[in-house]
Amino acid sequence: MSMTTLRKLIIALAAVALAQTGVLAAMVIDRTLLLKNGREITLPIVPVDPRDLFRGEYVRLGYEINTVPGALLVGPPPAHNAAFYVTLEKNPQGGWTPVKVSAALPHEPNPNRIVLKGRSRFLTSMQVRYGIESYFVPEGQGKRLEELARERKMAARVAVDARGNAAIKGLIIDGVLQYEEPLF
Amino acid sequence: MSWYSHRVERDLARWQAAGWVSDTGATAIKSDLAARKSAISAAGIFAILGAILFGFAIMSFVAAHWTAMSKLSRLVLILAALWACYGAAGYLSVRKLDAFAQAAILGGIAVYGAGIMLIAQMYHMEGSPPDAVLTWALGALLAAGLAQSRPALAAGFVLIVVWTVWERMLIDAAHWGFLPVWVAAVALAVWLGWRPGLHLAALSLLIWLTPLGFFVLGRHAHWLVALIGAGTALAAAVAGPAIDRHLPAAHALFAYGIAAAFWALFTAQFIDDYSFFDHQRARSVGRLLLLAVLTLAGLLAAMYWALQSGNRGALWIGYAAFAAEIFALYWRTLGTLLDTSLFFLVAAILVSVLAWVAYLLHQRKLLQGSA
Repeated sequence: MSMTTLRKLIIALAAVALAQTGVLAAMVIDRTLLLKNGREITLPIVPVDPRDLFRGEYVRLGYEINTVPGALLVGPPPAHNAAFYVTLEKNPQGGWTPVKVSAALPHEPNPNRIVLKGRSRFLTSMQVRYGIESYFVPEGQGKRLEELARERKMAARVAVDARGNAAIKGLIIDGVLQYEEPLF
Repeated sequence: MSWYSHRVERDLARWQAAGWVSDTGATAIKSDLAARKSAISAAGIFAILGAILFGFAIMSFVAAHWTAMSKLSRLVLILAALWACYGAAGYLSVRKLDAFAQAAILGGIAVYGAGIMLIAQMYHMEGSPPDAVLTWALGALLAAGLAQSRPALAAGFVLIVVWTVWERMLIDAAHWGFLPVWVAAVALAVWLGWRPGLHLAALSLLIWLTPLGFFVLGRHAHWLVALIGAGTALAAAVAGPAIDRHLPAAHALFAYGIAAAFWALFTAQFIDDYSFFDHQRARSVGRLLLLAVLTLAGLLAAMYWALQSGNRGALWIGYAAFAAEIFALYWRTLGTLLDTSLFFLVAAILVSVLAWVAYLLHQRKLLQGSA
């Protein structure tokens, strides 16, 4: 290999490393901004079948809003696994209830409402996933959290941005914020 | 020593004994073979395997979610490992250790993937997992293009296959988005002039193509895949020399076309209606008989052409497909067992007659040659 091709290769390698670092950095920045600036809501966690709760090294979190009545759909149904939008409204119990489903991002000026982006595999039963259903825990700690979820009242503090993206900020157990997530 | 040089040395001894090749000629050919030793060395292979193991080590490390290190320090560690890998690739290239440099690039791609997983874990991101695999695959293809790295391209092909299979499972429909990415990867393989890369391209397209019938035109459109495969094989047979003038690929195209067509016909016969697992669900025997005759006749024609054109790969695919077809028919049965027996008997007689005709033609050619 001549000196110039070698220099070119080294520049190319640096470009690859820089581009890949850039992608990773963009992912981190995107999440950090969402957690810092997103609107905060608290969603009660419903006990999921305990056999299903602990899988590998993450805990599966179930929410009331995962089940959305198909009748709420406005406009054409979204394709399989395509993103769509669920509008939630604050209920008197302090939780949130789905009130509308649409394929396009709706404008919601009402402060008692918030829009979440979701995906669903089976549109008939409308089991919607918002990307906040997995809580990753250190190796061996899933069991403990699983027991907590069964015995105590648990809720998730969730940040939501203007595009409906949601991220878990922390877990609330019996009204006390635990497992708070640092930004890094 | 490669298989090729083994064969040449064996033939060389015979040609030398027959007096067609002089002793000096034989020595020259042998030294030329030694000089053109295969580029794939043990060191290169072990270095690549080492990089793959390193990749799994770092992915397991991420999955272990080790809290003795803070999130930030784990992220910094991953980024440092990424830069160390590409830095090592540059250094090893300067030292002219190209095989090790390639392994280091592969390691960098693995670390990049581990970084994506780490960030998804840090922020409990779910999203759509295939999107993360696509992000990883594009990083691999970028490395393959910029650093002209063949192992990176191989990793890219593996990742786009994982991506499309996963995505197809989730969307339960044909995944057309695969094709532009695949074309980009093929363009890279052509640009790098890497022949095994073209085989990877064909294999990845085959994985995408063969189940396509389940997802388009009423979800039983295996005839479409069979037509695409048979059409490719036919084009490769008819226009072989024209294709080979641009790129010596006619043999491979023929073999892959046969594989795709056979798999589609096999799916239509035994998999689509679950008849292989549950005889009750089988469609009509007449349909199966028609498809079986078509498949066996097509395979015989393909094997005949493979023999005529010296296409060993296609011949082996033909043997394997023929065996799979008759075993499946035997298992599934055409109507009653007695009917099945009659079918195989008729087929046996026809194929034996074909063998006799082929023998007579061969004899006549020999006679014409000696006359």
